Order: sequence, then structure tokens, then C-alpha cells
Amino acid sequence: MDNNNITVLGVGNILYTDDGVGIRVVEKLEKEYEFSENIDIIDGGVLGVNLLGVISNAGRLIVVDTVLNHAQPGDLHRLDHDQIPNRILAKNSLHQVDLIEALTLCNALDHVPQTTIIGIEPKDIETLNEHLTPEIGARLDDLVQNVLEEVLRLGGSFQPRA
Amino acid sequence: MGKRIIVDPITRIEGHLRIEVEVEKGKVVDAWCSGQMFRGIEMMLQGRDPRDAHHFVQRSCGVCTYVHALASVRAVEQACNIEIPENARIIRNLLHGSQFQHDHIVHFYHLHALDWVDIVSALSADPAKTAKLSENVSGRPQNSAYFSEIQTRLKTFVNSGQLGPFNNAYWGHSAYNLPAEANLMASAHYIEGLKLQAKAARMHAIFGGKNPHPQSLVVGGITSVRDLTPERIDEYTQIWKETKAFVDEVYLPDLLAIASFYKEWGAIGGNNDAYLAYGEFPQKKVDDDLLLPGGVVDASLAYAAVNTDKIAEDVTRAWYEKGEAKHPLSGETKPIAGEVFYNTDDKYSWIKAPRYAGKSAEVGPLARVLVAYAKGHDHVKKLVDHTLKTLDVGKGALFSTLGRTAARAIETVVISDAMEGWIETLKSNIASGNKKTYQPWTMPDKGQGGGLNDVPRGALGHWIDIKGGKIKNYQYVVPSTWNFGPRDSKKQKGPVEKSLVGTPVADPSKPIEVLRTVHSFDPCLACAVHVIDPHTNQTYEVKVI
Repeated sequence: MDNNNITVLGVGNILYTDDGVGIRVVEKLEKEYEFSENIDIIDGGVLGVNLLGVISNAGRLIVVDTVLNHAQPGDLHRLDHDQIPNRILAKNSLHQVDLIEALTLCNALDHVPQTTIIGIEPKDIETLNEHLTPEIGARLDDLVQNVLEEVLRLGGSFQPRA
Repeated sequence: MGKRIIVDPITRIEGHLRIEVEVEKGKVVDAWCSGQMFRGIEMMLQGRDPRDAHHFVQRSCGVCTYVHALASVRAVEQACNIEIPENARIIRNLLHGSQFQHDHIVHFYHLHALDWVDIVSALSADPAKTAKLSENVSGRPQNSAYFSEIQTRLKTFVNSGQLGPFNNAYWGHSAYNLPAEANLMASAHYIEGLKLQAKAARMHAIFGGKNPHPQSLVVGGITSVRDLTPERIDEYTQIWKETKAFVDEVYLPDLLAIASFYKEWGAIGGNNDAYLAYGEFPQKKVDDDLLLPGGVVDASLAYAAVNTDKIAEDVTRAWYEKGEAKHPLSGETKPIAGEVFYNTDDKYSWIKAPRYAGKSAEVGPLARVLVAYAKGHDHVKKLVDHTLKTLDVGKGALFSTLGRTAARAIETVVISDAMEGWIETLKSNIASGNKKTYQPWTMPDKGQGGGLNDVPRGALGHWIDIKGGKIKNYQYVVPSTWNFGPRDSKKQKGPVEKSLVGTPVADPSKPIEVLRTVHSFDPCLACAVHVIDPHTNQTYEVKVI
């Protein structure tokens, strides 16, 4: 584990409409940008606790996910490290609980990465469909920008692919 | 009528499972198992290119992504008459083998152990005595300073209040039998297992092209050609060796040590009906000469070969439109319209009820080990006999919660050992210039195929019907559907329902005994059914009616 390593982890299920937004952000980042060596971009799917390896190897962790926060669909959220356990105590989604469990289990491995969750209020996470709703799709670029800003803040660098 | 207990949701699993049991005089007399989420991936696949199917199905589950992809490409390969090259077969085995190593270790230590191991009791253990115990049972003894350090770490963890998966456990329950020292030893290995889990996942990355979600599988073979270098194979071999050492020196000894305090569980949680395995790890051709053989056995260990024509899915008690039981090739997924009602006298689950020759059948490690044992599989037989002898129990103990949990460790040893041969063959093939990993093919207009494999949780089958080069119909029957299915038209219970009957329950408000049997099946309903439910189930609930 290298403290300078920044892992951007998208989570969610691309088969359930907006639930896949974290993965779509990660795909877009990989396709459109070249990142400095210390940055890993990971498609975490809904592996939950099985992402422990990825999470425990990160110095700094940026999670991209849907966040249910009783807001309007498309509203962007940002949760910083110390807010996470309290803010997501309720079982917002099955994979998120597992993700939080994985973060908690990092305690047992003596390393909990400093974590930020960049999220979006979804419109539909129940319909079986591989496309985002138009409302959420329209915010994809904003989410990508938020992640890039976070990467810069943490000392990473990138440039658009030619 | 006895007392009804509802455990909803069952924790430390993927997906959403509800268990209801009726308890009379301290024992379960009836049980209902309900999958609370609907899966409809099959409907999404209709009309698509068969070559894309595995990309979809591997996203239907959170954990076993690779195994669905494997079943899917096998189904298409059978439908299109494709024989994959030897190197592709070996790499698929190596990917699948590492999945078993990873999954079973995670299951034993991180999903199941806390049903048997009391973490809070570990805090009062004497580290010196724990070291002595470890000398006696472990193939990797550790000293008292080590256990003392683990104990301090556990204290910090427990005191922090951030218990994560340790939440909602029944610490101090009378059904915990382990002495404090054994609890501390197992807790230490829980933490070691976590470290190993983080590493073992990397094996998939080497030949998978990507991890999570390996992308190297294609219909016709594999595409991770650039990783077929001695350096990459060595990297894989190192992690495999380390994992195998953990399995041999820690996992199996722990299993035997813990089981010796829970021998009564050799008579609880059995199913005694039918055990089904498709078999897995082709040693030569894909459907031939399997490391773990396929077959069907009953409690007398009488063996029969599998005939997949005898598989049918019954929907009488599940929330689907009425219809007769159907083979997966002609299967349908038609959820009933409107709101569904949970009613244990009628329909109560989103899981269909698969039947083999009209009977419910248990799938998974126990089924595979019993089938191999009945066929006289050398390695399996040796390990099973050794386990029975060490615990001083008879063969009947195999058909139980204890047997199911032991079988998982036994097959991890067998598979871990076999991986060495695959690595060697792959190396010598590459060295001699045989680098073929893909068999070119063309899409036929029509074809039908079944992709069978046996994955960590049990027998998995994907069936595809191709017409005009597109998917006309696609159905899959997953291990959790077999094990966690509801009753059928003849009122026959599913395997888990059957296994729960007879389970003692000391305290109905803390039914840890029920959890032990349910967890021993390694439930993973994210693929049997899936969806996210944002506003309910905020807490873990045990309801006593």
C-alpha cells in the first residue's frame, strides 16, 4: 500500500438503470483521460466485501456511487471520510452496506484509506435496463468533473486523451 | 401450532433472503425460505447477440461474476459446436480454481465463522494458552505475543463501535461451545484470512485481463494471450502457493478444531434426499474427465449419472404465472402482475423451485464431495475418511450442517492441489510453442446448448436457444435456486427448508442455530434474484410470533 496511491472506485450494477452510474463514470474517465501513475481507476461492480483488496491497497479512495439522500434525482452529493459511517448507517442499498463493511474491515487490516464518496441521487434503480435515465445521463459529465477535481485536490494529475 | 420465527433479512450474505421457521418444544418443525427480490436478466437477453450474453450475466451477481460468464460461454460453445484449445481450458480452470480458493476461505472465515466463534469471548482468552492450542492443532503455530497483539487489536475494534459485520451477532449465546482460547485462535485467522482475501483476488487479475469482472473469456477460448509469459505465470503461481499453504496449514486444521467442539451438528441440518453435482474442472475435453465428477447421490450414497433432461423448474409456490414445471431450455420467466403477497400457504418467494426427476436436490460442496466419494475419488475419499476419523464420527455425519461445512474445506484442498498440474501443463505448452488459446468459429443460424459448471456454491447451468444468430431464449438455474427454492406443486420442501426441520432453537429471540444451517449453504441470492431496496430493512429483524 502506497499512501500516494489514489483509487477511483465506481460501484453499482449496470443492469439496473441508474444504479450503474458509478461504473459509467469510471468508463468515461478511462476512455477520455490519461492519469498519472499513482491513480487506479476501478470498476467495482457490486462486489461489496470482496473489494477489500482494492480498498485496503488504496492510500486515498474516491468512491463513485448512487446516494439516496431524499433529494431530487440528479442532485450531486459529496460525503467526506468522517461523515460516511454516520450518513450511511441506514441500509441505502445492499452493495453500499457491503462497501461500508469493507471499509470497516480495513480497521482490522490496520489501514482505512481516507475516503470521499462522490454520489448522485438516482431516479430509477429498480428497472432492469442497461441505460441511465436521461436525467442522470445528463449529469454524467458533472460527475466526471467532480471526480477529476477530487483527484487534483489529492495531488493526482491527468490529461485528456488525444 | 408452534411459535413462528422470522429472520429477515439474513445477514452476511449477498442479496435478500427471508427465513421463517415454526418452533415447537425447542425444535424447528417447519420452515419456509423466501427470496425477496426478482431477477429478470433472462428477459433482457432475448434478441441479443449470443456472444454478448456472458457480459450481461456476469453482472447479475455481485460476487460470482466469473462463473456466470463461464457457464454462458460454455452454453454458446455447445450450441455452436466449438471445441476450445487446451490452453484456454487450462486458463479457465485456473481462473475458476482461484475463485474457489478465494470464495471458500471468505465463506468459512468471514461469512460463517461468527456463527461458531464468539469474538467477544476471544477478548478474555489467555494468549499463552492460545499459543499452546495453536501448536497442537495448526500447521502454522503462532506464539503468545502474536495472539496478544491480535487480542489488543480486537479490543480496539470492538471498543470503536464500528463493528461492521460483527454487528447484530449473538455474542455470549449458550450455543457457542468454543473455549475462549479457540475463539481467539479463530479470530486471529479471521484477520489473516482478510489479508489473504485481498491478495487472492489478484490471481483473477492475471489471467482475467481485469479484476473485478474478468474480461478474458470469449466464446471460443480466452484472450489474455499477453499474460502467457513465464513471469506472469510465476506471479500467479506465487499467490496460488501462498493460498494453498493457508488452506492446508490453517483452514483445514481450523475446521477440524472447531468441528470437534460442535460434533452434535453432525446430526443437525441434513437433507437426506438427493444431492446433485454437474462436476467441474475438465482435465481433457470440456464435458469429459472432470476433476470433481458429476452425478446424483442419495443418503445411501447410491450413484447415478446426471441426465439434464430430468431438470424442471416448478413455479407453483413462487410469484410467477401458473404453468407446469418446465425444462430450462423451454423455461419462462413470467412474474405475476401487480403486487405480490407473502403467504406461506400459497406463494411466498421470487425463487423458482428446480427439481431433478421430480425431487428437490441439494447442490454445493457437500453434493460434490458426496458424488466424488460415491465414485471412489481417491483424494476426496482420503480427506473425508481422515475428517470422519479425526472427529470420531460416522459417515452419517456427512449429511448435516457439519458435513456441509467440512466438505467446503475438503474440496478447497482437492482443487488447490490440482491447480499445480494445470500450471505445469500450461508452462510446458507455452515453452514448446503451443500458444493457441482461441478456436475461430462462425455463428450458426440455429442451435441449442447448455453450459454446465459446478461453481463454489453449487451446480450452475445456463441454457441458450439461438435462432437467426440471435438469442431466442435464455434461462439459467443457479445454485441458490436449487438450495433456497420454495415448495413445489407436490408440497415438497426445498433443500434448505428440509434441512432446517429438526434444528434445535435454544432461544427463539436469538435463533443462531437457524443461521448456522442457512449460512452453511453459503447463500448468495444476488443472482438468484436481485434488486436494491432503498427504504426498507434498515435493521436486522428477528420476529417471534
